[in-house]
Amino acid sequence: MNASALVPLPVILPLLGAGLAFAFGRSARAQRVVSVVVLSVIVAVAAVLLTRADAHGPQVMHLGGWHAPIGIALVADRVSALMLLVSAVVALCVLVYSLGQGVTEYGPDTPLSVFHPTFLVLIAGVSNAFLSGDLFNIYVGFEVLLAASYVLLTLGGTSGRIRAGTIYVIVSLVSSVIFLTAIALIYAATGTVNLAHLSVRLEDVPDGIRLALQLMLMTGFAVKAAVFPLWAWLPDSYPTAPAPVTAVFAGLLTKVGIYAIIRTQTLLFPGSEISGLLMWAALLTMLIGVLGAVAQTDVKRMLSFTLVSHIGYMVFGVALSGDDGLSAAMFYVVHHITIQTTLFLVVGLIERRGGSTALDRLGGLARSSPVLAVLFFVPAMNLAGIPPFPGFLGKVALMQAGVENASPMAYVLIAGAVTTSLLTLYAMAKAWNRAFWQPRPAEADGWHRDAEDGAADSTGAAGAAGPATDLHRGPVSVAEPEAAEPSRPLQLAMTGPAAALVLVGITLSVVAGPLFDLTDRAAVDLRERAPYVEAVLPQGGGP
Amino acid sequence: MMAVLIAAHLAAAALAPLLAGRLRSRVFLVLAVVPATAFAWLAARGGTVAGPDARSITQSTAWVDSLGMQLSFRLGTLSWVMALLVTGIGALVLVYSAYYFRPDETGLGRFSGLLTGFAGTMLGLVLADDLLLLYVFWELTTVFSYLLIGHNPDRRANRRAAMQALIVTTFGGLAMLVGVVIVGQAAGTYSISGVLADPPAGTAVSVAVVLLLVGAVSKSALVPFHFWLPAAMAAPTPVSAYLHAAAMVKAGVYVVALFAPALAGVLPWRPLLLTVGVATMLLGAWRALRQHDLKLLLAFGTVSQLGFLVVVLGVGTRSAALAGVAMLVAHALFKAALFLVVGIVDHGAGTRDLRLLSGLRRRMPVAFWAAVLAAASMAGVPPLAGFVAKESIVKAFVDVARTGDGTGIPPVAGWTVLVGLVAGSALTVAYSARFVWGAFATKPGVSEPAGIHSPPVGFAAAPALLALGGLALGFLGSAETPALAPYAEHYPEGVHHASLGLWHGLNLALVLSAVSLAAGAVMYWQRHAVARAQRGLRVGYEAEHGFRRTLRVVDRVAVEVTGATQRGSLPVYLVVIFVVVITVPGTALLMAGVGSVDLYGWDNPAQLAVGGVLVAAAILTARSGRRLKAVLLAGVTGYGMALLFMMHGAPDLALTQVLVETVTLAVFVLVLRSLPPRFSERPLTSTRWGRLGIGALVGALMAGFALVASAARTADPVSETFAERAEAEGRGHNVVNVILVDIRAWDTMGEISVLVVAATGVASLVFLITGRTGRWRPDEAIGSALDSHASSHPDGGRPSWLRAGGTLPPDRRSIVFEVVTRLAFHIIVVFSVYLLFSGHNMPGGGFAAGLVAGLALMMRYLAGGRHELNDAAPVDAGLVLGVGLFVATGTGLVPLAVGGAVLQSAVVDLSVPLLGHVHFTTSLFFDVGVYLVVVGLMLDVLRSLGSGVDRHGDESAENGRDEADEQHAQQERLGETR
Repeated sequence: MNASALVPLPVILPLLGAGLAFAFGRSARAQRVVSVVVLSVIVAVAAVLLTRADAHGPQVMHLGGWHAPIGIALVADRVSALMLLVSAVVALCVLVYSLGQGVTEYGPDTPLSVFHPTFLVLIAGVSNAFLSGDLFNIYVGFEVLLAASYVLLTLGGTSGRIRAGTIYVIVSLVSSVIFLTAIALIYAATGTVNLAHLSVRLEDVPDGIRLALQLMLMTGFAVKAAVFPLWAWLPDSYPTAPAPVTAVFAGLLTKVGIYAIIRTQTLLFPGSEISGLLMWAALLTMLIGVLGAVAQTDVKRMLSFTLVSHIGYMVFGVALSGDDGLSAAMFYVVHHITIQTTLFLVVGLIERRGGSTALDRLGGLARSSPVLAVLFFVPAMNLAGIPPFPGFLGKVALMQAGVENASPMAYVLIAGAVTTSLLTLYAMAKAWNRAFWQPRPAEADGWHRDAEDGAADSTGAAGAAGPATDLHRGPVSVAEPEAAEPSRPLQLAMTGPAAALVLVGITLSVVAGPLFDLTDRAAVDLRERAPYVEAVLPQGGGP
Repeated sequence: MMAVLIAAHLAAAALAPLLAGRLRSRVFLVLAVVPATAFAWLAARGGTVAGPDARSITQSTAWVDSLGMQLSFRLGTLSWVMALLVTGIGALVLVYSAYYFRPDETGLGRFSGLLTGFAGTMLGLVLADDLLLLYVFWELTTVFSYLLIGHNPDRRANRRAAMQALIVTTFGGLAMLVGVVIVGQAAGTYSISGVLADPPAGTAVSVAVVLLLVGAVSKSALVPFHFWLPAAMAAPTPVSAYLHAAAMVKAGVYVVALFAPALAGVLPWRPLLLTVGVATMLLGAWRALRQHDLKLLLAFGTVSQLGFLVVVLGVGTRSAALAGVAMLVAHALFKAALFLVVGIVDHGAGTRDLRLLSGLRRRMPVAFWAAVLAAASMAGVPPLAGFVAKESIVKAFVDVARTGDGTGIPPVAGWTVLVGLVAGSALTVAYSARFVWGAFATKPGVSEPAGIHSPPVGFAAAPALLALGGLALGFLGSAETPALAPYAEHYPEGVHHASLGLWHGLNLALVLSAVSLAAGAVMYWQRHAVARAQRGLRVGYEAEHGFRRTLRVVDRVAVEVTGATQRGSLPVYLVVIFVVVITVPGTALLMAGVGSVDLYGWDNPAQLAVGGVLVAAAILTARSGRRLKAVLLAGVTGYGMALLFMMHGAPDLALTQVLVETVTLAVFVLVLRSLPPRFSERPLTSTRWGRLGIGALVGALMAGFALVASAARTADPVSETFAERAEAEGRGHNVVNVILVDIRAWDTMGEISVLVVAATGVASLVFLITGRTGRWRPDEAIGSALDSHASSHPDGGRPSWLRAGGTLPPDRRSIVFEVVTRLAFHIIVVFSVYLLFSGHNMPGGGFAAGLVAGLALMMRYLAGGRHELNDAAPVDAGLVLGVGLFVATGTGLVPLAVGGAVLQSAVVDLSVPLLGHVHFTTSLFFDVGVYLVVVGLMLDVLRSLGSGVDRHGDESAENGRDEADEQHAQQERLGETR
C-alpha cells in the first residue's frame, strides 16, 4: 500500500467512527473505545504522511478515481501533513481529558450521547480542510467542522451557551456564505475549483478582478481565523463551552482559517499585493486582542483574547510573504495549536480545583495545588513568549523575518509584536498573582480583596469600566450564575493529558531545529508552488 | 562540560522538591555541592582562560540552525570571573540558607529548587556565546526572580513587587531582543564572539545598540528603571544577596562589559551609559542615606554601585575596563556579605530597622567584623579590594577627563563624569558608615531588642568568608592584574599602563580618593544635618509612581478599547463583517473597473416573471412581522428557485429543491408552535436606514461581482465534460447523481455528516430544554396516563391498526386522514426506494428518496401522533443516522482495501435467482447511506421537534391550565436563550 492510500483516512475514519458511535449511542464504553482508537490511528497515519510527504513530496489521492481537476483531490504535502499531525495529537489529548472530566455523558436520561460522534466529525472536518486540494471541498470541510462545533458549543444547553452559540452560529454562517460566494465567483471566472488548477488559471484572470476575488476569499477566512476587525465574535462564544470543547476550538478552528489563508495566499494568489493590508490587520489583531486580555477578570475569557491576539503573529508571518515569514508563521501555528489547547485544558483543571474561572473567586492555588501551579505556569510563560519555550522561538523567527523585510511597516509590526508579548506576560502574571498567589478570599464576610496586583486597582480594571464594559460582559456574566462550585480533587485522567500537552509544548523547543528545517522546506514548497501543482496535475494544468 | 554544569544545576533544581521532603532545610547543603563543584571546575580553568596566555574554552551544539541559534558556550576571562562569582557566591548563599530557614518552613522544596535553578541559568547567561542563547538565560533569570520575590505571596506588597520586577525587566528584555535580532541579522551571525570580532555598523545597528542598552539598564536597575530593585527586597534575604546584589542585577553590567569593546564607539553608547550611570550612582547613594530598613539601605546602595559599574565598564578604555572588572568582583563580595549580615541581624534581633537596633556589636562579633570589613571595602578604605578597584577607576577617569584616552570624550564631559563619580563615592562612604552604625552601634536611648541570639558558626561563615575575600583581594592586586588583563586587552593601550595595586604613588587619583573618604566621613559625622537637607530636597516625583501610572493607563485603555470593540452584540458584529465586505473586496472591484460585460435578459420570459416573484418574496420576507408569514415567504423563494432550475433543464435539482423546501416548511411550522407569533419589536428604527443601505450595497456588490467575474472567464469550466464522462465512466445517465455519489461523492460524504451532526445536535438540545427525546421507546414505557383514550377504543390495550387512539383525543382525530395515510404510507416508501435505486440514471437519488420517505413518516406522524410514528419506524433515530453514515463511509473505504481509490465505484453485474440479471454500480451503496441519513434526520426532527403535537393535544384535553402554564414556561425558557 503506498502512502497516498493513507491520505483520506484522517477524514473518513472519524466519520466511520462517528457512524459507529451514533449507532452505539447507548453504550458509553463502546463510544469511548471507538473515538480513542480512531484518533490514535489518525495520529499514526498523520505521522506516516508527514514523513512520506517530507521525503517523497506531496501524497495525492484522487477520490473516486476521478483525476483532478474533474474530481476532488486530497493532498498531503509538508504543510498539510504537519498541521494534521499536530491537530491529531492535540485532539487525542483533549479527548482523553474529556473522558476524565466526564463531560461526555450528561446523565442517565439523555437521548443519546452526542459528544463522541460529534467530536469525531469535528476532527474529520478539520482534517478535510487541511488535506483538501479543492476549494469547494475545503468549504465542505469547514461546514463539517462548523456544524460539529455548533453542537459542541451548546452542549448542556445552558442559556449562556445558547446565547453565545447564537452569535457563533450566525457569524459562522455569514462567513461561510461569504466563502461560498467567493468560490462561486472564482468558479465563474475560471471554471474550476481545484486548487492546483486554479493556480494555473487564475493567472489569466485580469489583475483587478483577481485582487477582488482574493479579498473576498480572504474576508471569509479572516472571520474564521478571527482576524481584526472580524474577530469580536470569538471571545464572546468560546469561553462558555466546557473546557475540553473550548480547548479544541481554540487549538484547531481558528488555525484552520489561518491554514486556509496560508494555502490560498501562496498557491492561488502569489505575490504580495495585499501584504500591506494584512500587516495592518496583523498589528491591530495583536494589539487590540491583547488589550482585551488585559481587561479580563476571568481566565477563560482572558485566554480567548490572547488566542485572538496571537493570531496576529501568524498573519504577520504570512503578510511578510517571504520564505522565512511563512516558515515562522507555520511554526507559530504549530506552537499556538498546542499552547492554547493546553491552557484551556489547564483552566478546566483550575475550574475543577478552584470552583470557578473568575479571578476574584480564585486564590491560593499555588499552595493548595502545586502540580496545577506548574501546569499553569509553564504554558503561561510559553504563551507569553518567555524562552526557551517555542512561543519565544516562533517570536524570534517572526522578528528575524521582519528585520529581513526591513520595511518601516515591518519594524512597526516588530514593535507591536513585542508589545503584545509584554502585555500577554502582564495578563498571565495578573492571573497567576491572583489565582495562584493571592490567598483565597474568605467567602463569608463581604471581603474586600486587595485586587490591584499589577499596580492597577481592580476597580480601574473592572469596576469603573462604564456601560461599554457591561455590554461586553453581558453575554458571559449571565453564563456563570453558579456560586463558586465546590472544589474537587483533580483526577489523573484530566491532569495526565494536560501534562502531556504541556510536555508536547516543551518538546517543540527541543525539536525546534528539525521542526524549523521542516517548516523552512514547507515554506519553500509553498512559494514555489510547482511541487504541489505537479503532484496534483501530473499531466499539466492546461487552461 | 559547561553545558553539563548548567544542566546539573537545573537537574538539581528539579530534584530539590523531592529531596526537601526528607531533608528539610538541610536540602540546601546538598544542593550547594552543585555550584561548589562548578566553582572548583572553573577555578581549575583559571590558568587557561585568564592570565598571560589566556585562550577561551568553547563548546557548541546545534539547536535551531534555521534561526542561527546554537547552544554555544565560551569561557573567556570576563565570563570566567562572572562564573566564579555566580557559582562561588551561589554555593555560599545555599549553605547560608540552610541556617536562614527554619527546618519546618513551608515551601522549602520550591524555594531551594528555584534558587538552584536560578544559579544554573545565571551560569548559563555568563557562559553563553550566542546572542539568542544569552537572551534565553536572561529571561529565565527574570522569571526565577519573579518567583523568588513572590516566595511569600500572602503579602500584597510582595506580589506587587514580583510583578513589577517581572514587567520592568521583561520590558527591557524585549527591547534587548529586538536589538539582538537586528544586530544578529546585520552581522549575519548570532555568535557573540563572531559579532565582537566583526561588529556590524549602520543606522539600524545604532538603534539596536540603544535597544540593547535599554535591556541592560532595566535589568541592572539603573535610572529610570531603578525602582524595581528596592521593591524586590520583599524576597527572602538569600535571594536579595544572590540575585539582587551579586548575580542577576549584574547581568546588565555584564552585557555592557561584554559588548563595550565592540560597540562603545557606536554613537549613543557612551553618552547614554555615562549619563544614566552617573545619575544612578548619585541618586541611589543619596537615597540609601535616608533608608531606615537596612535591606533597603543596601538595595539603594546596590543601585548606586550598579550605576558606577556601568560607567566604568561602559566607557571603553583599557584601564577603566581592568578597574571595572576588579570593582565587579569587589562589589559582589562586599555586597553579598552585607546582605547576609542583614539576614543574620534580622534573624537574631527580629528587626532590620536601624532605629530599633542597638548593641549588636557585642552580641554578634563575627557578623560585626564581617560587616565592618565589607562596608570598608564598599567605602573604598585601604587596604581592601574596594579601595584598590576604586583607586584604579578614579585614575582611569582622570585620564579620560584629561586626554579622552582614546574615547573622544570632550574634557567637559570627562571632568563632569569624574566629579560625579567622586561625589558618588563620598555618598557611598557616608552610607557605608551609616550601615555599620545602624546595625551594630549601641545607640543612646534605644533599648536592645529582646531575645538577641548570636548566629551559629555555619550561619555566619558565608558573610565572613566573603568579607575576608575582599580583604585578601586588596593585597592580591599584583596577581589580579595579569589575570584580568586579557579582558582589558580588547582595548588599545591607554595613557597609563593599567594595573591594580594598593599603591600607585602620590597622584590626583589618590587625592580624589582621600577627598571622597573625608567628605563621606563628614557627612556621616553631620548625619543629622544631612537628614534635614534630605527632607528639604525630597523630590515629589518617583519613577515607581510613573510605572504604576503607566500600568493603570494600560489597564484603562484596555478596558476602553475592549468595551468599544467587543460589544457582545450580534448585529454590530454582522454590520462590521458586511462593511468589510463592501469596503475591502468592493473597493478592489471598483478599482478593477468593469470590462465589457455581455448582458442578456433571459432565455425565456418566464424566467423574468419567476425572478420578479423571487425578489418580491425576499423583500416581503424581510419586512414581515409574523414569523409564519416570513417562513412561508421564504418558502416561496425556495420554490421559485426550483422553478428556475426546471427552466434550466435540471429536473433533478428542482425535485430536490422542492423536497427540501417542503420539509423545511414543515419543520419550521413544528418549531413555530413554540415561538411567539410575531418577531420581537426592537427599537432599531434609528439604524434602519443604515442597515438597509448595507444590505442593498452587499446585494449590489454581489450582483455586480457575479457579472464581472463571469465576464472574466477565459477557460472552459471543468464541468463541460461531466455529462459525457458521467455516462462513460460513472455509468449513469443522471449527471447530478453521478456528481453527487461518484465524481464529488467526497463532498456528499462531508455534507451527510453535517446532517447527522445537526440532527443529533438539535435533538439533544431540544431534549435538554424540553425533555423530549429522539429515542424510540417501546410503547409500554410511554405515559400510561394517556391510555384513557385507548380504553375507549374497541381493541382495548392490544396493538391496533390505527394508533392515534393512544395519543389523540377522539374529537381531534381525523379517521379519513389516518386511514389514507396508513394506506399510502407503504406506497410512498416503496416509491422512495424506487427513487433511490433509479437515481443513478433518472431523477432521484438517495437524498431526494430519503426526503420522500421522511415526508411519508411525517404524514404518519401528523395523522396519528407518535405511536403511529413508532409503529412506522420502530428504531432510534441515532441508530439510523449512525448506520447511514457508517454505510456511506464504509462504501468509500472498501475500494481502498482492493487497491483502488476511496469512493471509487465499480459496475456489478450479478445474476440473482428470481430477479434475474442485476446491473448496478457500487456507488449505489453510498447512496443507500445517504438515504438512511436523511430518513434518520427526519425521524429525529419529528421525534424531538414534533413530539409536542400530540402531547399538547393530550394535555389540553386533560387540563387546559397546565398547557397554558407549560407554554408559558417554555416561552420563558426560549426567551432566555434569545
